[in-house]
Parts: sequence; C-alpha cells; structure tokens
Amino acid sequence: MFGLRRLPSSVPGFFSTIARGNATLTVSSQITPESSQPPPSKAKSSEPDHAAASKNPSTDGEVGVTGTTEDRKKRRKIPPKRPSISFDTPRSWNRPLREGVVPAYDLALSTLKRDSANLKLEAKQMRINIKEKEAGYQELKAKMDSLREVEGALEKRLELKEELQKLDQELEKMLEKLHIVEVQSEVNLPNVRWKVNNAMADMSKIEHRHLVEQKWRKDGALHLLMERLYQMNVVPDVLPELNPNIDLHVVARTTPREFLESKKVRKAVEPGAFLKPKQTLDAPKLHVNVFHADERLYTMLLVDPDVPNPESESFTTYLHWMKPNIALSASSPSRIPNLNTHTRYIPPHPQRGSPYHRYICLLLPQPPLGASEYTLTAASRATGPTSVHLDIPIVSETERFGFNIREFMRRWNLSGAKGGAGHMWREIWDEDVTAIYKDILKREEPRYGRPPKMDGYAHIKEQKKYIL
Amino acid sequence: MSTSLVCSSRTRLALSSTPASIRHYAAGKDSGAPDPKKEIIRRVLYPSNIRNRPTPIGTWRPDVGHAIQRAIPSVQAHDTVERAWLLHKRHLRKKRDAETARKFECMKKAMDALHEIDPKLYLEANKQDDPRARTAEEMQMRKTMKASELRAIEARIRGLFPRELRIPTDTPSRTGWKYEWKSFYRPI
Repeated sequence: MFGLRRLPSSVPGFFSTIARGNATLTVSSQITPESSQPPPSKAKSSEPDHAAASKNPSTDGEVGVTGTTEDRKKRRKIPPKRPSISFDTPRSWNRPLREGVVPAYDLALSTLKRDSANLKLEAKQMRINIKEKEAGYQELKAKMDSLREVEGALEKRLELKEELQKLDQELEKMLEKLHIVEVQSEVNLPNVRWKVNNAMADMSKIEHRHLVEQKWRKDGALHLLMERLYQMNVVPDVLPELNPNIDLHVVARTTPREFLESKKVRKAVEPGAFLKPKQTLDAPKLHVNVFHADERLYTMLLVDPDVPNPESESFTTYLHWMKPNIALSASSPSRIPNLNTHTRYIPPHPQRGSPYHRYICLLLPQPPLGASEYTLTAASRATGPTSVHLDIPIVSETERFGFNIREFMRRWNLSGAKGGAGHMWREIWDEDVTAIYKDILKREEPRYGRPPKMDGYAHIKEQKKYIL
Repeated sequence: MSTSLVCSSRTRLALSSTPASIRHYAAGKDSGAPDPKKEIIRRVLYPSNIRNRPTPIGTWRPDVGHAIQRAIPSVQAHDTVERAWLLHKRHLRKKRDAETARKFECMKKAMDALHEIDPKLYLEANKQDDPRARTAEEMQMRKTMKASELRAIEARIRGLFPRELRIPTDTPSRTGWKYEWKSFYRPI
C-alpha cells in the first residue's frame, strides 16, 4: 500500500537543505556553495624553497563552509606543515631559482662567492701571521722561564713580562680580526644560512655558531628572557647582574592537557611561566647552546628566593640544586649530563598560604685560569678547560634553607656580569606539594598565613551598648 | 514545481541570468566620451558588482599575493640579492673612505712638512678666505651695473650650489628647452 517514502538525499527538492549564499539571488536547486564566498587565494611555491614553503600555510581543508562563528570555532587552526629536515633526515641546499630566471640573483651569487674567496685568502694570510707571532711569544716565554732560576735577573724578567703582555694584546687583536674575517667569509652564502635556518647548524663551525648566536640575541628569545628576569625582579633579588652569553633551555614534564594536545611528554619552559609542582617532581633537563669554542667551567644553581621565614617575618632563599665545574663548550652535547652528582635535586615545594614562588636556574661562569677575563689567546693555547676548578662542598639539607647566594658568589668569585645563563619559572601551592612534604622531605607540611589582625574594638564589643 | 527527480547535468535548471555588471544609476542615451572626472566619481559612488576583484577601499585584495609572487618569486633569493647588494655598497664605501683617508694623510704630511720649513707660509696656507669677498674687477663692474643685476651677483656666493642646478624630473617641463639661455659674466 502507499506509505510515505523517504526521498533519496541526492534528489533536489524543497525537502533537502539548500545552501543559500547570496540572498539576492533566486533560489536555484543547483546552487553550488563554493560560489558564495570569494575563493581563497592559494599561494604557489614552485621552487624547492623550504623556507618560503613553510611560510605559506596550507589552506583550510573545508572549502564551502560558511563564515559563521560556530563554523569558525569548529574549524581549528591547523599549524603549517613544515618539511621534516634535521640532522637525522638531512637535505642539501639547492638553488631556489633556476639559472637565468632572475639575473640579479645569479649576479648576487657570483659576487658573494668572489667575496668569500677573497676573505678566505685574507684569513689564510692572517693565520700565517698569527702563527709567526705566536712562535715569537713562545720563544720569549721560554726565555723568561729560563731566567727564573737565574738570580738577580728580576729586572730583566719584568721587562720580558711587559713585552710578553704587549705581544699577547697584539695577538688578541689579531685573533679577534681573524674571527671576524672567518665568519664574514661564510656568513653571506645562501647555503650556510639555509642550513642554519633549517635546524642543521653544526656548532663546531664558526659561521654556524655566529648565526645561531645572532638569532638568539636578535630574534627575541634573549629579549624575552631578560624581560621576564627583570620584571620578576630576579636581577636585584637573587644576583646583582646577569649578562647571559649562553642560551639555556629548561625542559620539564607536560601537564595531562598539554600531553593530549601535543602527544609530547616533555616541553620547553617559557621563562616566567607557571608550572605545576607535579611537573618538576623529576629534575628538569637543561639544554644549552654554547657559543665559545674553548671549554669553560660553569656552576649550576637552582634557587627559590621566596620561601617564607616566620622568624624574620620575611622571605628567604632555599637552594634546590647545585652542581659546580660543569664543562661546556661549543662541541659539548646540548643536554648537560650527570647534574645530580653534587647537591642533589629537591623538587620545588611552594608552601601553602605563601604567594607564588619564583624558581631561578643559573649557570654562573667560574673565574678564568690565570687572567681576569677570558681571552682568545688563552683559548688558543689551552689544552683543557680555561676556568679555575672550584672545590665547592656539597650543601647539606640544613644549609639549603637560608642559603646566601651573594655570599656564595663572593666566596667563590662567581659573577653573572661577564657571562653565564639564566632561566626562571614560577609555581604555587598544589595538593601535590603535600605529597612532596610527606614522601621526599619527610617533614610536617607548614601552612602560612597573615598574622591575625588586632581588633581595636574588642573591649567595646564585650560591653553592653544599650540600657535595655 | 518542475523539479525533476533525476539529477543529471542535462536537466539542470538554468541559473537566473544576471548580467556581469549592473548599472544602478540613470544615464542619458548616447553619452559619447564621458567627462573623466564624472566617470571617476560615478565609479566610486556606484562600484560594479563584480566578484573576485579587490574591494574599493582595500579591505580585500586577492591579487596582492599573485603580484608579490611575480615580483619576488623566492624569499631566499630576495635575501641573497639584498645581502650581495649591501655587501657591494659596503665595499664601495670602504674604498671611498680609504681613499679619503689616504688623501687626508698626504695633505697632513705635506702641511706638517710646511710647518717645519716655513711657519709663515704655513699660516698663509691655512687661511680661510671669505666666499663673499669681491675682487677689484668686480668692484669696478658694480659701479656700472643695474640694481637687479647687482642683487643677482651679490646673491651668488662662491661655493654655494648654482641657481641653475635642476633636479632631474620624470617628465619634461611645460615650457620646453630654453635655447636662448646664456650664462652671464661673473668676475671671480
């Protein structure tokens, strides 16, 4: 018998949903939704230019979705897909344009190649000169050393010492100039810049190191770090001055939500960001980008300057982690290994009732061997680390609380003025801190608050106000 | 409703024919060559309803991407050319500075030598003359000249850029080339 039959969805009819784009047009059964919006402009990247390709994001998958708020909310921002190039999957540079397409580009390439060749010749000559001068220096030094046994030659020794110092200064200038010439001979070449821009920088090469350092200093990462350090008053509170020369990254665990979004277990911490105490239960990993070729020793400190001290009704410092004599150079691995061998790591535990705590990780350079400053001449002559090895004793559990950073720095002649690295994050009390106190610190968890306010009207409140 | 149950290209209804551009203003018949000013105003007040063209006030410009792609096909190539050009300019600058410094050194050495030899001549060589000083010949000429000519001569200070100096322009002047121009005699 007859029953209502459901029409197939492909059939147009006024039961089916018609997408109406332009309201002034008459409803036609074959309106195509694509024509309702101006077509999105697709960027064409015809050449194997990965830098340019990564700049043009892929267009949204769904064409023909109307621009309503709900649709925009549903349409998640798809991050641009970048080609996976790294040291594991290396690629080599190719010309972005074929020869003859843009004559200015061909001319530019030949100019840069010629300039690079000229500078390389100059650098070769400079290296010969430096070698000769260094040989002269060594001769003089040997002469001075031989006079040490001879008595009565003090004046001559002083003369020779002055001459040696002058030679050393000249050598230093020559080495600085050589460094500049060597960097400039390679830094303009497009293949070198492409390599560094595509995560294939080789820190043993002088020009790659230079480009990575320039990126760190000029592209905003260092600016952000210093802004956070100064805004959070780390610089006057913890140490008087910090001029970083090393790029320090702190990597901590991700929260469950971050893990869901990125599928990554660890994430780099933005300087000044808030972390949960659970994220820093395990010691965070420290990664460094070092720009000096010689091996220097650094001391790592992790301090919390905002621990409440009820006796002084103020705040004091707590030392969470320390390791002295960390050898770092351009050729050392990115991640600093074996950090828990000295003063072991105690996870941050911001106390209940106290405002948020700042946790500052510092890498302070140890004083140079036999000089007041690190020099290129000392670096060129060095066989091992160019810093003094400091025998800093392990800080006991009782000494951690109330650790005087400035006194420590004065005692061991550490300073952040001439180099080093810094990083910071913030934390506030969580229920996990109770667990830290119970399991790791094995102490009673303190609870802080403001002192009770004296009620000036307490005696009046006790008296009767009205006669009745 | 004359909708067909079978959906095929042949039975597709024709779209209502809308003309490519619609005029929303009255216009007389046979306007001929319209006044360009009135055309511009008309185009601004009643923009054409053509899609996929840039909007009149630039809120949507779909052609910019294509134009930039034509001009700068590769960002990397652009940066390379920029670096090479700046490097070339730096070389020229350094050469010029080195040449200037060499000339200055030569001059300084010569003046030092002169100072050793004859201090009086040295002072004479170091004297700076007044650019507005007048020669004897000029003083004679001043007595016989008209006031306007006198003013013109007094305004031309030695060392100042000449009044005839013209900045090159894209288009020639309206008055054309002055073939009858003659520079007037000025005793220096």
